[in-house]
Amino acid sequence: MATREAGKKMIMLKSPDGMEFEVEEAVAMESQTIRKMIEDDCADTAILIPNINSKILSRVIEYCNKHVPTTGATGAAASDTVAPAALAEDLKIWDAEFIKVNRATRFDLIQAASYLNIKGLLDLTSQTTIDTISDNSLEEIRSFLSTKNDYLPEEEQTIRRENQWAFQ
Amino acid sequence: MAEAAGATPLLPGLPDEITIGEILVRLPPKPLLRCRAVSPAWRRATSARDFLLSHHARQSALPLLYSHKDVADGGQSLDVTLFDHRAGVAAATDQFQRIARLKAVPLEGGIEDGSFTPLFYPVASCDGLLLLSIECDLCICNPETQQYAPLEQLDGFMTVGFYLHPPTGQYRLLLYHETDQRAVYVFSIGSNQPPRHIGRPDPLAGHGLLFRGSLHWHTGNWIMAFDTTTESFRQIRSPVAREDYGQLFAMGDMLGIFFLNDEKTAIDIWVMKDYQGEVWAFKCRVELPVAEIRDHCQNSSHIDEVMVVNGDGELLVLVGFEDWLFQVDSDGKLIASFHARGLPSYNIVHKQSLVQHTFFPTLEGYVINDSPFI
Repeated sequence: MATREAGKKMIMLKSPDGMEFEVEEAVAMESQTIRKMIEDDCADTAILIPNINSKILSRVIEYCNKHVPTTGATGAAASDTVAPAALAEDLKIWDAEFIKVNRATRFDLIQAASYLNIKGLLDLTSQTTIDTISDNSLEEIRSFLSTKNDYLPEEEQTIRRENQWAFQ
Repeated sequence: MAEAAGATPLLPGLPDEITIGEILVRLPPKPLLRCRAVSPAWRRATSARDFLLSHHARQSALPLLYSHKDVADGGQSLDVTLFDHRAGVAAATDQFQRIARLKAVPLEGGIEDGSFTPLFYPVASCDGLLLLSIECDLCICNPETQQYAPLEQLDGFMTVGFYLHPPTGQYRLLLYHETDQRAVYVFSIGSNQPPRHIGRPDPLAGHGLLFRGSLHWHTGNWIMAFDTTTESFRQIRSPVAREDYGQLFAMGDMLGIFFLNDEKTAIDIWVMKDYQGEVWAFKCRVELPVAEIRDHCQNSSHIDEVMVVNGDGELLVLVGFEDWLFQVDSDGKLIASFHARGLPSYNIVHKQSLVQHTFFPTLEGYVINDSPFI
């Protein structure tokens, strides 16, 4: 991580397991939930983030650090000279690396993104699951869900018939 | 089956409210329907009316394209395709999604082979419902739920508007009778009442654009607006006084209008900066790449099918010429050309919906998953 610029307003985020994270206000405000707390003056010195453990919270902060608009942000040092398209491409590659995590972590990130209301992170973390459901057969989806087929064969046939164009 | 409710999460490791509110709601309609066959719990979750309403609300309003294609057993089908012009939808195959193919039953007494298949045409779209015309008749369908019904009682009427009447939840048509273009009627789909006369506005041309709860038509010097709740007309200022008709479109939360010049080589686009105050601003003139387009098609006739759509906040121009679709940016630069994927029709945009409507089964001739869908 590069050094922080002086004069930025900092916010303290606390996870329920007692860890504290000092982040720039602009980074924290990538979360619409935190933005609202700050704007409503509900955030004094530290904000407790319930239900999100330090491991997940640190990853969320990592994401927000990368995605905060580039002025003064760390990581994108050459932003003045890099074209927006190249920056977007760089972010895409970074996102693809970021999301290479196991399913449990990904689900934790989805919940964190949903609670903190970070649209980009929610899009990113839910897309893998959406793709899995969209691209696979029913059997594969059931195995992904580790759920068994609760339908009687004739029930399943009826449902397939009712929605037949979706199975073509 | 009963014990499955609530006991096992839909997606192990995620609370159901997140699975439903953040995952399932983002699925495209087709995979969403397939999910109903995963398990009874998934079926319940993906069939609830509230869920389907929020799913519909998340869909983008995409330009609707249509084409007529020869089908194997004779006649031609109407193919309805959505064109996803947004950035991030990369491959050309993903940009075009055919949502329906319909073919009418052949009528006896055709010229060549003794039978004749009338053609369906798209007329208007509202909340995922598609209004079609066939010969002089109207019908309504939802491509996503594969429901279809002819609309009876409308002989001799022409339609100029299709909207939801919020106080009753009824879908309604605004009509005029072919004998008098100035007398306007309202017809509630699914009611047994004949069209009801409601007023005499300026003559309305084409199908009204639904924007901020009102239907809008450009009538030359004015824009007529029809409030879908009070069902009354009012006049709105047009950006320029012109004889010819402009085409209205929605540019995010702004109303837009464009005029094709007489030479059919350029369009002037205006947007309404302030809807209440009726303040228009000239947005831009787009010189269409006419030479390139004509060259491409080896045809020197006039362009006449032009559509302006909102693509992620950027204006995008679609030009239909012969059976080619051209995508042009706001600088008049030709971005892409597509052959035989369908043509735009009266600026219709369609927003897919799986919501079930009670009026469908009450209509005479109602079908589901059956002809004319093929």
